[in-house]
Amino acid sequence: MRYLERRLVHGLLLLIGASLLCFAFSALAPGNFFDEMKLNPQISPATIAALRSQYGLDQPLPVRYTNWVGSVIRGEWGYSFAYNCPVRSLLWVRACNTLLLTVLATVLVWLIAVPWGMWTAHRHGQWDDRITSACTSILIAIPELVVALVFLAWAVRTHALPAGGMTSANADAFGGGARLRDVARHLVIPVTTLVLASLPILLRHVRASMVEVLEAPFIQAARAHGIAGFRLLFRYALPAAANPLSSLFGFSVAGLLSGSLLVEVITGWPGLGPLLLEASMARDVYVVVGSVMASTLLMILGSIVADVLLVTLDPRIRVT
Amino acid sequence: MVDAVTDVDFEIASASLTALVGESGSGKSTMGRCLAMLERTDHGDIWFRERKISELSDGEMRALRPQLQMIFQDSARALNPRFTATEIIAEPLGVQRKLSGAQLRSRACELMEEVGLSRNWADRRPLEFSGGQRQRLAIARAIALKPAFIVLDESLSGLDLSTQAQILNLLLDLQKAHALTYLLISHDLGLVGQVADYVAVMHQGRIVEQGPRQVVFQNPKHEHTQALLRSVRPLENWSRAAHVGGQS
Amino acid sequence: MTKTRKVAISVVALVAIHLVIFFAGFVAPYSPAEQNRDHPFAPPTRIHFVDSRGQLHFRPFVYRWLAREDGFGEYEEARDHEYPIHLLVEGCDYKIGGLLKSNVHLLGVEAPARIFLAGTDGYGRDLLSRTLYGGQISLAAGLLATLISLTVGLLIGCISGFYGSWVDESAMRLVELFLVLPWLYLLLAVRSFLPLQISPVQTFFLLIAVIGTIGWARPARLVRGIVLSAKSRTYVMASRSFGASDLHILRRHVLPHTYGVLLTQAALLVPQYVIAEVTLSFLGLGVNEPVPSWGNLLATLQQYNVLTSCWWMLAPAVALVIASLGYLGVANAIHERLQSGSI
Repeated sequence: MRYLERRLVHGLLLLIGASLLCFAFSALAPGNFFDEMKLNPQISPATIAALRSQYGLDQPLPVRYTNWVGSVIRGEWGYSFAYNCPVRSLLWVRACNTLLLTVLATVLVWLIAVPWGMWTAHRHGQWDDRITSACTSILIAIPELVVALVFLAWAVRTHALPAGGMTSANADAFGGGARLRDVARHLVIPVTTLVLASLPILLRHVRASMVEVLEAPFIQAARAHGIAGFRLLFRYALPAAANPLSSLFGFSVAGLLSGSLLVEVITGWPGLGPLLLEASMARDVYVVVGSVMASTLLMILGSIVADVLLVTLDPRIRVT
Repeated sequence: MVDAVTDVDFEIASASLTALVGESGSGKSTMGRCLAMLERTDHGDIWFRERKISELSDGEMRALRPQLQMIFQDSARALNPRFTATEIIAEPLGVQRKLSGAQLRSRACELMEEVGLSRNWADRRPLEFSGGQRQRLAIARAIALKPAFIVLDESLSGLDLSTQAQILNLLLDLQKAHALTYLLISHDLGLVGQVADYVAVMHQGRIVEQGPRQVVFQNPKHEHTQALLRSVRPLENWSRAAHVGGQS
Repeated sequence: MTKTRKVAISVVALVAIHLVIFFAGFVAPYSPAEQNRDHPFAPPTRIHFVDSRGQLHFRPFVYRWLAREDGFGEYEEARDHEYPIHLLVEGCDYKIGGLLKSNVHLLGVEAPARIFLAGTDGYGRDLLSRTLYGGQISLAAGLLATLISLTVGLLIGCISGFYGSWVDESAMRLVELFLVLPWLYLLLAVRSFLPLQISPVQTFFLLIAVIGTIGWARPARLVRGIVLSAKSRTYVMASRSFGASDLHILRRHVLPHTYGVLLTQAALLVPQYVIAEVTLSFLGLGVNEPVPSWGNLLATLQQYNVLTSCWWMLAPAVALVIASLGYLGVANAIHERLQSGSI
């Protein structure tokens, strides 16, 4: 329990540091949201100046930061100029959608990669291992963007699945169960794309870790005792691989989060990605900062989960 | 926090071979590193030739460094495996800007021959040499700057007995030729018995006994010294070992 | 096949890819800006050896595409006249490396036929030519950003690892911060904070600066690890004992250990940064029209009808995958070679 507390505090400090960094970057901005208005001759410079001071954009950076922190504590997370509402109301829904997508994709990709990786490690050097290795080498070179486009094109051409968004147009008319099924159908393309994009590299890393573990002396001893097959892999080798796999988990969460941005934008899934993109184009600075912080929070949560997993699975770490 | 070395009052006579003995963890290596100025002491002074060297500025220390050298135990780790033999020997000369270019290489070859290595091996890498030859290389590097004092930190451990004898003879020859002062750190009392002029015994960070070799070995006063001596081969073997050293 | 030979082969393949892109002007049949408004979204020109009368031609040839009156993007071949493909033809002017003028092209057909090996885009511009020119932008962005990122990473990693204490502590905290922010989110955010309406040239350099400065963290950590382990070696202590300065030790004893890792990192980072540029341009925050980049070439695929019917628009994606494969092959080969050959 103490370990969890320490990780949470560490995570909080990271979050604060990340917000400082983000704000520091935002100071780079030579212009702001209201620059667009300057081009409109009907709006007087005085109005623009008044708007700027109303939103506190004319204050120096440390003041803006403290105001923002205060707003976060109040639960508002700043103010969106484009939507004219507190950022929180935009963030919450979107963050949940991204969480749903990333959690599902993470669970699925690990469920596939671990057994498959273990099996190919077991069959190290044989023909099915070589074929898998060759395929993953090629698939790793295909970036997420391309996977998303190709998969979407296929899905749309075959009319098998809804082309985008989270719910169908007439979703309000559905009852509870039907609504769930509707969301599930819309989830298929984004989740599958994310899984397809992350699977090859995860597979390769799982295989590499397992190969290393399988060469350990204690495994040779177990084999000599007659233990083989699934028992050997799952009860003997897998626990020993828990350490490298847990750190892999942290990396995979990072990759999946960044990947989800692109997949959400391309497939129209209403998550943090499209929100950030929109806000970036419009220079809605507090929405930008809010989205980045929300995704960082998800990342930190993911790495805490990875650390807790590690501590639970690897008894050697419990000493500290 | 444990003191590695404490309560030490120790004198090394010039042009002698003083041995520092003790079991592992007694603080001998730390002492050696402090005397070679590779580690700073927390308290206390070190004097070299009437000069207090424990509190020198970086510039003064740099000028003094050539005088105090160290030869390490593991020659494979003490020499950069990517350098050639001449590069290794020439490095101190280059760093201290004593020589440059072709002169550097020819001086390095001279030093190689002085320690008994053929100059044809000038472009070989350390791992292409045997353990004994590597230690010779390390010795050549150590004497390149014409030091006055050399710490031999277990430099003969890890070598087989006949190579040990050869390297020992080389060191003794060099000592006579260049009036060197050695501090031999070793746990091998047999070796110490052969060559040391003075002996200091360390135990748990303190020097428990010191004096001329004959005195310490034949009349050990401290119980630890006695225990150490008891665990070594009996006296007759020492005289046999002395004959082996007399060859080659 | 020895490990060294594998490295050599993969490097040769990579250099070949880069040469093709560098000589885009020569390899591409047309200029990337040349529009053929009567041929929007034309599919790739088919190459034939046997004509409509069943006769076998020695030289491959093409037919003209004619737009059908009725459908959108429906084309059929005009089988009246065969246009043979010639090698080393004269075409539009271009500059090799921005300096040498030339007008020789690898392939070509006589007017009014056109050879669109990868089809055309919405303005009728040859996609193959645009892809090749786009590669110049995307690959250059990747290479330059990698240079920045590795230089900054090397500097900070060296100083941090070598001097330790508070310098190291603060540098590693900073690394942790940079690594905890999801990179694409951070990239978009930083890009959005910078001027949006700027010229393509300025955008290009801005992108490189942004991508490079965000990516220094991982190389810095790697270099720091190497420096930490190198500086505690016995031969470094020996060097100090004869008065070697920090710079000497860094240069001669510590840095050589980093070269292998830096090389592998470079081979891994370049494709990542190329993808970063492609992603930004795809989303509209990178290099914009009319300058072609693989990213903005792929951006047309965001239109529903283009995505479903114009499969040739994925040509830049194929180019991207080929480039990635090239770099990953080199990274793998170097990694294997280092693992076996290092002392």
